Amino acid sequence: MKKQNNPKRILIANRGEIAARIARAINELGHTAVGVWTDNEIHASHLEFCNEWVHLEGNTNSSTYLSIDNIIRVAKNNNIDAIHPGYGFLSENAKFVERLEKEKIIFIGPNSDAIKKMGDKATSKQIAMKAGIPVIPGSSDAVPNKSSAIKMATEIGYPVLLKAVAGGGGRGMRVCENSSDIEKNFDVVVRESESAFGYGGLLVEKYITNPRHIEVQILADKKGNTYHFFERECSIQRRHQKIIEEAPSPFIGEREDLRQAVCNTAVKVAKAVGYDSAGTVEFVMAEDGSFFFLEMNTRIQVEHPITEEITGIDLIVCMIQAAFGEPLGIPEQKWITRTGHAIECRICAEDPITMLPSPGTITGFETSFPQGTRFDHCIYSGLKVTPDFDPMIGKLVTKGIVRPVAIRKMKAALNGLLIEGLKTNIPLHKVIIDNESFINGKYSTNFISKEKPQDLVDIGIYVTEVYQKIAGIEAVKQGI
Amino acid sequence: MRYYFIDTDNEYIVDLNKCKIHSPEMVEYTFNHIDKNKVFGPQKVFVRQMAGKYYTSLDSISWKRVAKQDMPTEMLNVNRVMKMYRGFKPSGLSGSNDGELITNMPGKVVKILVNSGDHVSKGDPVVILEAMKMENEIKSPTDGIVKTIYVKEGDALEQGVLMIDLE
Repeated sequence: MKKQNNPKRILIANRGEIAARIARAINELGHTAVGVWTDNEIHASHLEFCNEWVHLEGNTNSSTYLSIDNIIRVAKNNNIDAIHPGYGFLSENAKFVERLEKEKIIFIGPNSDAIKKMGDKATSKQIAMKAGIPVIPGSSDAVPNKSSAIKMATEIGYPVLLKAVAGGGGRGMRVCENSSDIEKNFDVVVRESESAFGYGGLLVEKYITNPRHIEVQILADKKGNTYHFFERECSIQRRHQKIIEEAPSPFIGEREDLRQAVCNTAVKVAKAVGYDSAGTVEFVMAEDGSFFFLEMNTRIQVEHPITEEITGIDLIVCMIQAAFGEPLGIPEQKWITRTGHAIECRICAEDPITMLPSPGTITGFETSFPQGTRFDHCIYSGLKVTPDFDPMIGKLVTKGIVRPVAIRKMKAALNGLLIEGLKTNIPLHKVIIDNESFINGKYSTNFISKEKPQDLVDIGIYVTEVYQKIAGIEAVKQGI
Repeated sequence: MRYYFIDTDNEYIVDLNKCKIHSPEMVEYTFNHIDKNKVFGPQKVFVRQMAGKYYTSLDSISWKRVAKQDMPTEMLNVNRVMKMYRGFKPSGLSGSNDGELITNMPGKVVKILVNSGDHVSKGDPVVILEAMKMENEIKSPTDGIVKTIYVKEGDALEQGVLMIDLE
């Protein structure tokens, strides 16, 4: 293997499947992957792919993965050249990036200015408006209190969405149908956003009926080259968090003009903030195909694998190269092409009916997948899923030449994914994949509330299946 | 060998009655199960270990893979995780009293919505518990009067902790 000319030491300030994914990209490039483990996760399976293992002291997220001081101290003690933040935690924290800029440690992500501008929903909306990009009607700044929220809502018309200024990942959001809903939900959302983001400011905006969530993957380098990697549709959501994503969007389908319009708008947004890494521009698309800028996520996203599958380009590798100012190897936009269709199901430790997190210990884990499957995960038999971290434990991705093939493969892949010991949403995914609206690609972000797939999950206890499980357990015990 | 599966309001019993070892890789078990004092079965199940993986069959012709598990203490069935006991059932085990509010997942108390002495109806929210960054309303399982509150706002609770006693 050709030795990396200028090997760098890269700290991965994250855990779970994304830490493992990043470590493998670092290894591929010939750099050194430095992984961390904390006191509340001693069996950190992502370390398997890291070259060096470093202890990040502390047993809460706020003292470890969210502690700027702790991470910078560990980085300096270990002669770290660059830090990859993954998603969540400090990935979109401008203060962290500013500190790194001061400490001369490279942040594998965008510049702090872009994060700051896009991290604040009100500012990002203003920037988009200035660049001539359509946005959803609503308050451009945090509303001071309940009554002004109600006043704003009356102006733009119900239903409205109450959401955290600093929010993301679906936390700190509620749909309100009338003023009493606002009365009821305002304090809850303030509290949620205070505890999740440390800031309780809320926005009020128009809620679009049957909206589709369309997002465009962006990659930019430090020389001002900005590329898009086509769109993803992430309309299947519960509690405003995505659970199934696909690329390309079945709603846009064959409408290449619409696809080009959305993707080019996304590039315009990224250019407007001087973006220089991997990022995602999110849009809400209405039933008539009109679309509005929602926000830009200034990080690599959970669902990036489906874009990698249809374009064949490793986004994490490109992100690292962009951070070091290296060329991305992409001469022009037209070189980025797509083939086929990819679907991702987020596998979460949660009740398949209530969709609420359900921690526990995995007692058995096996896979047998069809061709065209990718499973990014951190699962092993014995893994304890604790309430400390997000309940997502893996991402199951299938790719087919056309959408029905990807769906067929997903069905087989879900059947081949065996997880025992704790509740997962695999049974729910199986129902969704079989749903007629899903199969026809005619669904909106209201899919779960409209189709209620959770009601179709078979919760029966089948005696022969129980016998078979016990037989397996008994055979292992007997040493068969 | 008897297996007990217990969750909050149900108990299932499966008996493993016969074990016939065919070869070092294959074994045949005979099961019964007991439901409301009636015995069902018997059912033969074959298990075959191949290349470290375990396969089961009802007829030794068509095989289905099962995940290898090393004597787990819990058994999953779609949306239920039942305690599993092999051999005997531990004494003093029953589901929670109707009037006891017990955490079913670890979490942090965000807000207590009742005071001791309050009258609550079944389904009334009594506590807001934050788990995995989500706020969950814990509802009263019954009509009654709040007797004792054992927790306070800000407490981090394990699973199975008694929070409130109702009368």
